[in-house]
Amino acid sequence: MQIIEKIKTNQLIDNPTEIQKICLRKLQLNPLPNIKSELWRLSNKSKFSNFLKFTLNQKNTTYKKPYPINNQEVIRLTIGENSSFQLERKHYSIKTLNKEELVNHIKKDISNFDQNENWSECFNLCLSSEKNILGLKISGREIPPLEILSVASSGALNAKTLIIFVEKNCNIDLLQINLGAENSSLSLATYFCLEENSTVNHGVVSYGEDKAHLLNSLNVVQKSKSEYNLGSLHFKFNYARFEIRIKQIEGDAKTNIKGMQIAKRNEQIATYTKIEFNGPDGFLDQINKSLADDKSHAIFEGSIIVPKIAQKTDASQLSRNLLLSKHAQIDTKPQLEIVADDVKCKHGATISQLNEDELFYMRSRGLTLTEANKLQLSSYFQEIISFIPVSKERWDLLDKLLKEI
Amino acid sequence: MKEIDPILEINNLFASIDNLPILKGVSITVFPGEIHAIMGRNGCGKSTLSKIIAGHPSYKITEGNINFSGQKMNTLEPEERAQSGIFLGFQYPIEIPGVSNLEFLRVSTNARRKFLNKEELDTFDFEELVKEKLELVKMDPAFLSRSVNQGFSGGEKKRNEILQMALLEPKIAILDETDSGLDIDALRIVASGIKKISNDQTGIILITHYQRLLDEIKPDYVHVMSDGQIIKTGGSDLALELEKNGYEWTDNLKREIN
Repeated sequence: MQIIEKIKTNQLIDNPTEIQKICLRKLQLNPLPNIKSELWRLSNKSKFSNFLKFTLNQKNTTYKKPYPINNQEVIRLTIGENSSFQLERKHYSIKTLNKEELVNHIKKDISNFDQNENWSECFNLCLSSEKNILGLKISGREIPPLEILSVASSGALNAKTLIIFVEKNCNIDLLQINLGAENSSLSLATYFCLEENSTVNHGVVSYGEDKAHLLNSLNVVQKSKSEYNLGSLHFKFNYARFEIRIKQIEGDAKTNIKGMQIAKRNEQIATYTKIEFNGPDGFLDQINKSLADDKSHAIFEGSIIVPKIAQKTDASQLSRNLLLSKHAQIDTKPQLEIVADDVKCKHGATISQLNEDELFYMRSRGLTLTEANKLQLSSYFQEIISFIPVSKERWDLLDKLLKEI
Repeated sequence: MKEIDPILEINNLFASIDNLPILKGVSITVFPGEIHAIMGRNGCGKSTLSKIIAGHPSYKITEGNINFSGQKMNTLEPEERAQSGIFLGFQYPIEIPGVSNLEFLRVSTNARRKFLNKEELDTFDFEELVKEKLELVKMDPAFLSRSVNQGFSGGEKKRNEILQMALLEPKIAILDETDSGLDIDALRIVASGIKKISNDQTGIILITHYQRLLDEIKPDYVHVMSDGQIIKTGGSDLALELEKNGYEWTDNLKREIN
């Protein structure tokens, strides 16, 4: 873990920015997360070490479009390539945050960082150069869908950061595509601030390659009357960890999450979520699906925090898991922490295998076992995929997934 | 002695699930154009027999043979049996959330067509075919755009089964309690659909508890099953006798046999 040694000895970055300096100082005290803590205890140590073994790539990574441009108007940005961007139209405006806005926002966030809980963000901000931080302020209406790419490069560790301010009454569809490369590590941190009455339909699709590693954190702050819808999909990473932290700071907001992770071979893919309600009348509907095959390991740990101030909260968290091999492992732990006494909160978890009755029914109609399996899996995936704001022509996810299985 | 070959020939079939014997020596022979009815108490092995013919992987044949069109098929996979023309109409059709009924019907139909060396149908051609078959069971086309059997009433599920039978054009159809859950009108529609689909080249096995289905579709043979065995075979009058005397009568028959 050469990178940790360099952090310890302050040799990682030649001319660190103000943010990097702050984060480096934080990490130098405790360079690694506490592997015995609840948040990290299931993390595969050897895979996590592999994540840290690459040297930091401070150059830009470019990405060639793999699919034909579709007919739909899409604003496409790549972190590292589009650090300065401005689009003013009649009904809307999208512009990059200036340096001062960025620094102020990040500093404010860092001040609340917990060393262990926010280790991934801290690590990311240490490493993200100015070029690899994309900050956007979006306002107005009739905004075309956005597509934001984060691309890893082979044999290196890349760090990318995305910060998005969504102004009042604004409604956006944003798809984040995170592409791993062979033998690579990608550290990614995303921050969303949703002002009142804004709506974000956010898709996160992380698609790796052989021996690709990913540490992906997502922080969302919602003001009242805002709506945040997240559809996420993580697959084909040797090691991937997706951390979601959402805070309804005034309550009275809506959050819908539909996430899925697919683990094959000996991969480990994990999702950690923490949803906090800091005011009354908050709403959450969350479903997380995991599929574990071969010798893989899928993890879900979710917590919903409802303090006394968050009366009338209506929250639901469901973890559904498919275990396809006797050598695969699934750990799931949906949790509720409720202090308020007038709330409607539920949580649950199921682990099952492919439904034998469904399979026999399909086979009795002439479908082969493989076809029946694919049809059953596609129905399992469909609920999540249909929630991701995605241009089908460019990112045909269901086909990709079914080819993988 | 019939000159034509049977479609289905079951000889002294013994089968079990988790080492628990269910079938204890069943023999039935179905020739083209014949309609057979199997009746018997709940748990006597009727549904198990239908699932074993269709190739359910949970059951194990411990003795005896199932021959279909002259070929032994004890070890064939369920899909191989279906493709070659065996159809099982389920007592409780399975719901498959997320899988479009139309697409499921198309894929199934094409699997059978492929076996018959017929050209596979694309979406447009298939829609034409399915519209024509929907008429047979008076089914609302709206059910095609739903997930397979999801949110269907009991009657709609049974119609969907007969629609599948019409599309797959099987050589033999085993209909497991197709009449259960149907009101009088739906029963007539389903029975009429079955009659239209069957012909002198196909065979039908109806598994039922009630005479009312057999009033609509007159069987050539009625078999009474008890404790994994066929204890009596007769003509359509046997069903009437059973309706009149109840299953206690079959208990006496079984005692006589033993």
